[in-house]
Amino acid sequence: MNTCPEKIIDYMHAYLDEDIRPEEERELQEHLANCSECKEIMDGLEESISFLKSATQIKAPAGFVDGVIARLPKEKSQVGAQR
Amino acid sequence: MERRRYALDELINKRINEVLKGKQDAFEEIVILFQHRLYHVCYRMLNNKQEAEDIAQEAFVRAYINIHTFDQKRKFSTWIFRIATNLCIDRIRKKKPDYHLDAEVPGTEGLTMYSQIAAAGDLPEEQIEKMEAQERIRYEIGRLPDKYRSVIILRYFEELPLQEIGDILELPLGTVKTRVHRGREALRKQMGTM
Repeated sequence: MNTCPEKIIDYMHAYLDEDIRPEEERELQEHLANCSECKEIMDGLEESISFLKSATQIKAPAGFVDGVIARLPKEKSQVGAQR
Repeated sequence: MERRRYALDELINKRINEVLKGKQDAFEEIVILFQHRLYHVCYRMLNNKQEAEDIAQEAFVRAYINIHTFDQKRKFSTWIFRIATNLCIDRIRKKKPDYHLDAEVPGTEGLTMYSQIAAAGDLPEEQIEKMEAQERIRYEIGRLPDKYRSVIILRYFEELPLQEIGDILELPLGTVKTRVHRGREALRKQMGTM
């Protein structure tokens, strides 16, 4: 069980969300330099993120757009035709 | 980037106005512009290609039907992502709770990849590693509790700001932050045990 102040974990997430104040970041970095347990948590979080970011972009299959058009209700185009 | 985005929003609003006048072709252009992003989010949410296609298409149909309700001062992407994520969440709720831990459904990516590896035999190690990583991403995302999965997908696959994620999922910013934090925490723990 990690006995470090809970705010350190909060700072880690604030850091990852780029939502951290400079003095908080300094405190976080100092803590990480001296606490291997927290450093390990931080590294784990960063690894998980870079792992997710290595995901390939998956594209919609061929025929996707035609499939949408085929599913559109017909009434709407009739409204247009009435103009 | 901001400028490009602004230009895109303008183009979309132009097309929407044409759709409102009854031109269905203008909607096709909107579908073309957003198909891949919408499909990708649905695919990550549902972990299944057929369902992702069905739900992403349904999202576009609903957008078309309700296009008159879209507020053009807002971002269209936020609106259509909201429709799609709501449909995904509904679909997930209708499934068995243990669905995401299930083995691959026949015909989906995972099985194809494994059979490719088996058939090809001696693929370069780095290629195999890459395939495994993609499969692993699918698995890890699938294991996340639903409410963390949606924020993590929007944050790390769509790379959206927290505020925009809140707009899509209709959650306060504080809740989005908490869920992103817990989602990251859950991922870290999942990955640490493997």
